[in-house]
Amino acid sequence: MQGGIGGHVGAPHVPGRVRALTAVVLGAALVLASVAPAPGLTVVDMLGREVTLPALPRRIVSLVPSATELIFALGGEERLVGRTDYCDYPPAASSKPSVGGMLAPNLETMVVLKPDLVIATTSGNREETFTKLTQLGIPVYAIHAARVAEVMDVAARLGTLTGRPAAVTTFVAGLERRLRAVADAVRPYRRPRVLYVLWPEPLIVPARDALVTELIGLAGGESLTAGERGDYPRFSIEAAVARAPEVIVLARHGSGSGPMSRDKWDRLTSLPAVKAGRIHAVDGNLMHRYGPRMVDGVESLARVIHPEAFR
Amino acid sequence: MTRLGRLVGVLVLLGVGLVAAVTIAVFLGSARLSPATVLQVLTGGASAGSTESVVILSLRLPRIAAAMLAGGALAVAGVGFQGLTRNPLAEPSVLGVSSGAAFGVVIAQLMGSTGAVVDALKVTAFGFGGALVAGAAVYLIASVHGGFPIQTLLLSGVIVGIFFASAVTVLTSLVDINRLGGIIHWLLGNIAPLPGPTLLLFAALAVLGFGLIVSQARELNVLALGEEAALQLGVNTERLKLQVFVAAALLTASVVAFAGPIGFVGLIVPHILRLLLGPDNRFLVPTAMVGGGIFLLLADTVARNIVAPAELSVGVITALFGAPFFVYLLRTRHRGVL
Repeated sequence: MQGGIGGHVGAPHVPGRVRALTAVVLGAALVLASVAPAPGLTVVDMLGREVTLPALPRRIVSLVPSATELIFALGGEERLVGRTDYCDYPPAASSKPSVGGMLAPNLETMVVLKPDLVIATTSGNREETFTKLTQLGIPVYAIHAARVAEVMDVAARLGTLTGRPAAVTTFVAGLERRLRAVADAVRPYRRPRVLYVLWPEPLIVPARDALVTELIGLAGGESLTAGERGDYPRFSIEAAVARAPEVIVLARHGSGSGPMSRDKWDRLTSLPAVKAGRIHAVDGNLMHRYGPRMVDGVESLARVIHPEAFR
Repeated sequence: MTRLGRLVGVLVLLGVGLVAAVTIAVFLGSARLSPATVLQVLTGGASAGSTESVVILSLRLPRIAAAMLAGGALAVAGVGFQGLTRNPLAEPSVLGVSSGAAFGVVIAQLMGSTGAVVDALKVTAFGFGGALVAGAAVYLIASVHGGFPIQTLLLSGVIVGIFFASAVTVLTSLVDINRLGGIIHWLLGNIAPLPGPTLLLFAALAVLGFGLIVSQARELNVLALGEEAALQLGVNTERLKLQVFVAAALLTASVVAFAGPIGFVGLIVPHILRLLLGPDNRFLVPTAMVGGGIFLLLADTVARNIVAPAELSVGVITALFGAPFFVYLLRTRHRGVL
């Protein structure tokens, strides 16, 4: 089951490589799927922990919005009995009972749902929740993805856990096809310097270990902050300005909210991006979650980075 | 009423309050178990692994115990600091000692943890170090000719508190954004159902701190007459002050380590008890242990239920009550000095 979480941190914009990796992941998933129905299965989660389950889980609580989206996308939602307040997509997810926020989900509510597996993440959930659930005898399966290949890995794992391995193949093929289409469309053009603003005040940007950084590359841009350490560091606005962004992408958080602090950037009239009027807003949920809509994220990024390619 | 009568009255009140608070807390929760089910679990009538018994025995009861320990420890620390400074407004959060402990705890948390009891001990030790440094700083800044004028004491507490809160902010701006949420959640003050061994450690530390202070209750009474008078009456004031200070810092640190910085419990509870019982520390310290437990348990029950299935942080609730209460004390009891 080790599709691998570390190791294959490749150049961010090489779809061919992504394809090769997903083939490996898929292969692993298929092999696992053939042995999965055996009673008492042991799976290895993305922290490398062994998780022993009496059978394939039938009552899953997802503490990760990305996982909730993936489970629905793979058609495994029948097995999903709980979600967090942030699991707002697809709309049908809101018909599942919520166990509260990601940081402090309500343990009582969770226990009452009688989950036989809780999907959690190292980025967004707290270790205390993890420990407490384990003490209560509820198996916890940890996931995390910061690369497109890892998203495919997460999908394969969730497909296996929800008994939908066949759906994974279709799902991954669909994602790859759309990624390839974007890659083909933007290939002829020069890669502009893109400043992605995750949060304006304080300025938070995606760095080396952020999924968004790879998505920007796939969309034919060059993230100005791709070389910084970590995933989502705070960044000095001076340094951002000094790198002369040609396109500024502002993440919107939650539907309905306008571009975040656009005027702050509009005032910096010497920036190439401002001169050219290239300040754009995108839906942050498409970029920061590692769910099925990640490809919508790449497509919307490609449209703002290379409008000429989509006329 | 005679003093004995008052004491008996307060003890009855605390006993009834304790039973009532625990009852409310054990019956209320987002799992919406019927009272009959709760009773069945408590009387051992439910099977061990059933949802109901997990909710009651593994979630609610440990949390109730943690809330009572934290509340009791904070109230006793409050009585200790108040006796030490001869100032009824002294309290771990007002004095900045909580912030110092929080700084130590954040450092320990950033060093990584494995969730074991050893970690709990390490985190408490760091918190204790921070509390001692902050407490000693306030003590040195505020002490004027061996006394603690109220303005100087409060200001030094505020300043030391701001300093350590800023130090915590420095640390949190350096951590990875994924861990930030967890640290902020803890900084707001939250009671969690602690695992058994950790709960035992917490209880041991609370009992130790309580013992160190209650054993000096008589001497603290004498200290209220002034340091010189206490010396003439044969009290080893240096040792007394050191012991009470260390114990109060330890109590504060253990609460900060296991529940986060929760403010104002050490102010509200001793004050109410002082109104009922008078200033005798021999009565105040034990009743504060129980009264603080009841108070924080009720606050935590509100935090747990008012927005269920989401939860509020109990530290937010105590501060919402505590800050106006502090203003009230300052305006009514300490008019003269303002």
